[in-house]
Amino acid sequence: MSLADATSKEINSAAEATVPDMQDPSAVLSVLEADQIVAAKQQTRFGRRKLSRGTRALLWALRVYVVIMLVLVVISAFRVIHPSP
Amino acid sequence: MNWNWTKLSAGPARPTTEVASHSPLAEDLAGLLTHEDADRARDRWEVSRARRAENKSRALGKFWVLWLLVGPGVLVFLGENDAPSMLSYSATGARFGIGFFLPFVVVTFLMGLVVQEMTVRLGAVTHRGHAELIFDRFGKFWGFFSLGDLVLGNFLTLVTEFIGIRAGLGFFGVRPALAVSAGLLVVFAAITTGRYWTWERITLALAILNGLFVPAALLAHPNWHEVGHAMLTWTPLPHGNGFDILVLMLADIGATVTPWMIFFQQSAVVDKGMQPRDIGAGRVDTLLGAVLATLFAIATILATTPLFHHGIDASQFQAAQFAEALRPWIGRTGAALFALGILEAGLVAAIAISTSSAYAFGEVLRTGHSLNRPMRDAWPFYSILLGSAAAAAALVLIPHAPLEFIVLIVNVVAVLAMPPALAFLVLLVNDRDVMGDDVNSVAQNVGAIAVTVLLIIAGLGFGVATVFPRWFSWL
Repeated sequence: MSLADATSKEINSAAEATVPDMQDPSAVLSVLEADQIVAAKQQTRFGRRKLSRGTRALLWALRVYVVIMLVLVVISAFRVIHPSP
Repeated sequence: MNWNWTKLSAGPARPTTEVASHSPLAEDLAGLLTHEDADRARDRWEVSRARRAENKSRALGKFWVLWLLVGPGVLVFLGENDAPSMLSYSATGARFGIGFFLPFVVVTFLMGLVVQEMTVRLGAVTHRGHAELIFDRFGKFWGFFSLGDLVLGNFLTLVTEFIGIRAGLGFFGVRPALAVSAGLLVVFAAITTGRYWTWERITLALAILNGLFVPAALLAHPNWHEVGHAMLTWTPLPHGNGFDILVLMLADIGATVTPWMIFFQQSAVVDKGMQPRDIGAGRVDTLLGAVLATLFAIATILATTPLFHHGIDASQFQAAQFAEALRPWIGRTGAALFALGILEAGLVAAIAISTSSAYAFGEVLRTGHSLNRPMRDAWPFYSILLGSAAAAAALVLIPHAPLEFIVLIVNVVAVLAMPPALAFLVLLVNDRDVMGDDVNSVAQNVGAIAVTVLLIIAGLGFGVATVFPRWFSWL
């Protein structure tokens, strides 16, 4: 048997390994990480982080920026659709 | 499996790669498993099997693993080549031909790649969606702001997707109501499988049709010498009204870097069940998506260059009008391919964007939010998914609805909403309590901050140009 044939046979045997019954909890728990389990995720949360003054200032500045820019976008689009004579 | 709540004494969430069977909570978790867990575990088992095969034959095994893990990255980038994006690229090619905008589009996709890579790591490490993490770490105030940006942007974009679907099918004589209904039906059909894996493969098969712009471009017989020259020298520079050029640049940026992409890819990575050891494959997936989307975007620009060369004014064209106008130069087949590409762009984006809204609401409301859940188990999730798509579709059919207004502003709104979205993303991906050792490196932070600053400058430039348009008349 050539090396290619032997390799192919091994790949096929790995591929043919039967899928475990996922109704069996142990099968599910053996492939998922603990915090991938839906119940675990719903019961545990990452807590609130403390925001520094700088971070809060940055978030507020970006928020104000978005609101102002949105107003300008609306004005601009309105001008394009209804140009002044 | 029984649904039986047991109080888990798990403590706060923390980044971990501990297999559930080795967890001290294993016994508790065994009694709380759901259909979603089983489906996700089945997908994970396939990846494990592929990795075992990788031990035997590296090349085939690696390809098999990649095949299994490709999905969120390709979908997000090809989904972002949506109807308004392809319209932006079409307008770019028709207005400016081959030149500055070809390498510019490449740069915008590089920006997108920097951003999307971070979502892969966030999702794979935390197993939480983006909206959920923002609410958890920053509180409801900032969470609702982010959600508000997403909902507004997504709804406007969904409207433009159904405009694209209407236009694409309209080229073939399909009536608007039928076209829009068909689009909704495709969105519905994709989610009826109750399996993330199946939904992903169906949507990927549709998304690859974004490549229809490539044969359309070849039929336009672009001057490849000019293409190579433009890619290397960024010339010729665009001429004309400075404000129009700025708006088009912003629209092209908005065609590649938008908030829904962050929320969607992270949630899709979580729903797919990716783990930290899959981050490498996730990066390849994202890179593949960016490369394909870049190629298809450039193809769209090239496909419409005949309009530039023949002095056709396409400034007021909608999507299907490009297909019709190109017919003399790329033929009936090329025009049909172009129209089909617009249809595909609208369809895939409608699927992806409505899913991103549903993921975000499900994460915030803490209801079931997985495509691995059957409809009866996650009806709020599926209701938002279909409801958002249906509302957008309905608006497209309402006479005198402000559709032109929405099409004009949608990409620009996306660009403007990106800096806050990026700020949360960068803060989260640098948060050791959330990411553990997978926080951003210095280089990654430099890239992320550079993209944020560029977007802010682009937005500010737009604002100044809106208030003082004459300042840009020298361009």
